[in-house]
Amino acid sequence: MANINTTPQSQPPGQLSAFWSAFSQNRGAVGGLIILLIIIVLALFAEWIAPYSAIEQFRGMTKLPPAWAEGGDKHFWLGTDALGRDMLSRLIYGARISLFIGLSVMSVSVVIGITLGLVAAFMGGAVDSVLMRVMDLIMSIPSLVLAILVVSILGPSLTNTIVAVSVVYLPNYVRLVRGSALAEFGKDYIIAAKVAGVGPIRLMFVTVLPNCLAPLIVQAALGVSNAILEAAALGFLGLGAQPPTPEWGAMLADAREFIRSNPWIVTLPGLAILISVVSINLFGDGLRDALDPKLRRS
Amino acid sequence: MIKFILRRLFLTIPTFIALMFVTFIAIRLVPGDPVEVRTGEHGISPERLAYFRHELGLDQPVWKQFFDYVWHLLHGDFGVSLSSNEKVLTEFLTLFPATLELSFAGILFAVLLGIPAGVFAAVKRGSWFDHTLMGAAVAGFSMPIFWWGLLLIMLVSEGWGLTPVAGRIDMIKFYFEPTTGFMLIDSLLSDQKGAFLSTLHHLILPMIVLGTVPLAVIARMTRSSMLEVLSEDYVRTARAKGLSEFRVISLHALRNALIPVVTVVGLQVGGLLAGAVLTETIFSWPGVGKWLIDSIGRRDYPALQGGILLISSLVIVINLLVDLLYGAINPRIRHG
Repeated sequence: MANINTTPQSQPPGQLSAFWSAFSQNRGAVGGLIILLIIIVLALFAEWIAPYSAIEQFRGMTKLPPAWAEGGDKHFWLGTDALGRDMLSRLIYGARISLFIGLSVMSVSVVIGITLGLVAAFMGGAVDSVLMRVMDLIMSIPSLVLAILVVSILGPSLTNTIVAVSVVYLPNYVRLVRGSALAEFGKDYIIAAKVAGVGPIRLMFVTVLPNCLAPLIVQAALGVSNAILEAAALGFLGLGAQPPTPEWGAMLADAREFIRSNPWIVTLPGLAILISVVSINLFGDGLRDALDPKLRRS
Repeated sequence: MIKFILRRLFLTIPTFIALMFVTFIAIRLVPGDPVEVRTGEHGISPERLAYFRHELGLDQPVWKQFFDYVWHLLHGDFGVSLSSNEKVLTEFLTLFPATLELSFAGILFAVLLGIPAGVFAAVKRGSWFDHTLMGAAVAGFSMPIFWWGLLLIMLVSEGWGLTPVAGRIDMIKFYFEPTTGFMLIDSLLSDQKGAFLSTLHHLILPMIVLGTVPLAVIARMTRSSMLEVLSEDYVRTARAKGLSEFRVISLHALRNALIPVVTVVGLQVGGLLAGAVLTETIFSWPGVGKWLIDSIGRRDYPALQGGILLISSLVIVINLLVDLLYGAINPRIRHG
């Protein structure tokens, strides 16, 4: 999320306050931002906030309901799972994993996407055609199926989940950057820069790129939430993070058999996924409306 | 138009070749020797090993292996499943109608609810209905559908006992040979009393689960597209002519507002198949999605390879059709 906050600062100060006043009008977006900040704090300071470790098992305390329900224990606010691990602690550590996945996927695909997109736009010709056909290919395979393909080659793990989901979302960024770079090409300031003798690398990253950033930032914000969902789906299918990692999707998969007897074990991890994804999406919608009036939905 | 179709067709050929190449390479990158996987780890003589390698074409140069692979694919040979010894294509085609039925139901659910909801929200802009719907839409497309499925099973099936938990039909009460593979049609053809209702009963929850994300996307898209159209001059003209509000909205505005919605529905196809993988896993729905996941568990790489190739080809073809259809509706695309 770091580059989202820093970008407006590189613009004249007037734009930052203009951005904030547009952004803060959107109540949903502000709500999303607040929840997102809470989740980030939980993820960053999990060691201090979580009452227990995510993998510590309390014997004889298995499948406790939440503290307020009958049979609950006030030491375990949200109850315990089938192995007697504290649900609250696992959820808090899970926030760290999900955010980490979301941000890594976003960074990897943004960096590679910007590079490939600019290269395609600048080189044109055969390079452009080949790159775009490869992106078409990636987009033609359903996201989860592609992720399954990657994971079945590399084997299930957290790192491979990140690789797989980054591959899935790469085309979005490549196409976006290429499209906006091409749209900038005919403009006078590019010609001026060329005449002034600016080299191709500088032209790509310093002259053109900043003018393509607004839609890219929006896409990146929404990309984080998509990545979290996709990674959770892989975790749920047993192809993502492996036990005892407290990944929300994997926690759901473990909980499936207790759907009848202990519904909260199933409900809580999913609720955590939903809340984080909704907050990021609300925040992303707000960003879009504030940064790029052209993209604004009525 | 012919030129547009030909160009579009021509552009898909490299995608298909690349797809075959990717699936070909992917299977070779998987750790483990395919011969050893088949014959077991020890107790095989060098002659037999050489025989198996020859049998599988593994003693050929890689480029020749690729051409053989493509040659077989073009003749409909997608390999043989390691776990069932059935042809991958046969297995896929047996299971595919189940996925198709589920996907159709899901998208139908999404369209039938999403378009009226979006229109109503646009017409009543700023009302509580509008706000509620848009809030629900954000939740809808943020939904982890595997959890949504479990939640619905927990509430509707386990809690209220309203719907079955798994499968396509009550297998204890009804049995008939599949004729079309579509359970809704087969159950009607079977003439068994209650079979159709039982099928419908089994379809409801998976349909809702799979349709939720497209429903949210379609409702949002319809609303914003409708809002745009409602401020157009011809809508004002239609109102000025004294047409009833219903006629203005349903005939004049909606028809134009639907063009972007059609594209969005087309774009949902890939996502729908990805969603089907999860939905089928949750509801033990015997379709290609569940088969794919089971194949991973069984390390059945030929099935995985063939399945991924078939599903992706299908998406490429459907995207092509959507593009062509869109070109037919909107002439501006053809010349773009």
